[in-house]
Amino acid sequence: MNKRSMGYVLGFTGALCVVFGLGISVVHYSTLEMLQRNEALHRNRVILRAFMIDVPEETPQAYEDAIRRHLEISKVKDREGTRTVYRLRDRGNEAIGFDFGGMGFWDRIDGIVVLTPDLRRILSIEFFDQKETPGLGARIEERWFLDQFKGLPVAWDAAPKERVIIGPSADPNAAHRVDAITGATQTSMALMRFLNSELERIRTLEID
Amino acid sequence: MAARPATILADGLWKQNPIFRQVLGICSTLAVTNLVANTLFMCFGVIFTTALSNLTVSLLRNLIPVRVRMMAQVLIIASYVMMVDILIKAVAPDIHRFIGPYVGLIITNCIIMGRAEAFASQNKPLASALDGLACGAGYALVLIAIALVREPLGFGTVLGYPLPARGLWWHQWTIMVMPPGAFFMLAVATWIARARFSAQEKTEGTEKKT
Repeated sequence: MNKRSMGYVLGFTGALCVVFGLGISVVHYSTLEMLQRNEALHRNRVILRAFMIDVPEETPQAYEDAIRRHLEISKVKDREGTRTVYRLRDRGNEAIGFDFGGMGFWDRIDGIVVLTPDLRRILSIEFFDQKETPGLGARIEERWFLDQFKGLPVAWDAAPKERVIIGPSADPNAAHRVDAITGATQTSMALMRFLNSELERIRTLEID
Repeated sequence: MAARPATILADGLWKQNPIFRQVLGICSTLAVTNLVANTLFMCFGVIFTTALSNLTVSLLRNLIPVRVRMMAQVLIIASYVMMVDILIKAVAPDIHRFIGPYVGLIITNCIIMGRAEAFASQNKPLASALDGLACGAGYALVLIAIALVREPLGFGTVLGYPLPARGLWWHQWTIMVMPPGAFFMLAVATWIARARFSAQEKTEGTEKKT
C-alpha cells in the first residue's frame, strides 16, 4: 500500500486515535471506583479541616464518622442553583459552612467557606480543587494564605465587591483585608471577585 | 545501528544521561525535586512513558507515515501520560494534587519525544524499549539524587521521616524548598558530572597517545 496516499495517512491516524482512546478509556473505567473513593475522602478531609475538627485516625471511615457526628449537611436552593450548607452541631461552638467557587485564572476553583452563624466573620476557607499555576496561583492552598482568613470580619457595609479585600486597598490597615500572593495577582483578584459575589449570594439564602 | 543492550543502558544512565549530558527535561527536574516521594512518582511516570512510547513507536516505525510521524508520536506519548496520570491519581491522590500539573507536562518532556524520534523510529522494539527504560532511569537517577539533598536541607526529612534529633542542630533552608534550590542543585550535579567526564576523556586521550 502507498504510505504517502491521503487514504493511508487518514486511516492510520484514525486507527491510532481509536486504539489509544480505547486504551485510556479502559484505564479510566477500571480506576473509576478508586478515584471516587479518593475524591470523597479528600472532600471529607477538607471539610473537617475547614471546621477545625480533629480526626483521631487517618482512615476514610474515621473521616466519614467525624462528618456524621459533628456536621449537619443540607442543600439549599436559590435562584441560581443549589448550594450545600454545613452546620456544626457542637453546642457553644457554632459555625456554618457553604460550598463556594468560581473562575480562577485558569480554571474553576472550588472550596468551602465557614462563617459564624451571624455571617459577620469568616472562620476559615479551604479549597477542594484548583488548577492555578504551581508555585504561583496554586499557593492559595498554602497555610499562611489560608490562615489569614481565620476570624476575618466581613464588611457587610462596604461595597458588594469589597466586603473582603485580597491585596491592596485604600486603607492598608482595613480589618477585612488579607494579603494577596506575590506573582499571582490574577488568581488573587479572581478569588476576591468570586468570594465576594458568593458571600452576597450566601447572605440572600433563606436558611432556617 | 545495532547497539548492544549493555551499551544502551550505560548510555542512558550515564554517558548520554538526558539531564546532565543532553540537558533535556529540566523543567520537571526543577519542579518536583523538593520531596523525595513526589520525585519517585514523577520518575515512575517518566520511565513508564519513555519505555512504552519507545516500544510503541518502534513497533509502528514501518507503518507510521513519515509526514505525520511527529503527530503520531505525540499521540502515543500523550496517551501513555494520561494513563500514568490516572494511575497516580488513583493510587496516590495526595501526591497527585501536588505533581499533577507536571505529570501532564511529561507529554512535552523533551527526553521522551527526543528518544522516540532519535532512537525508537530507527531501532528494533526491544532495543528501543531498553533505551527508553535507560533514559528514564538516567533521568530518575539525577532527580532522586537532587531530591535526596533538597528534602533534608529544605524540610529536615527524608521521605517524610524526620532527621535524627533535628531539633538540636538543624535549621531549615527555605531556598531548598523553592525552585531556586533546584537550580543550584542541578548546576552542582551537572558540574560534578561534567568534571568527571572531562577527566575521563583526558585520561582516555593520553592512553591512546602512549
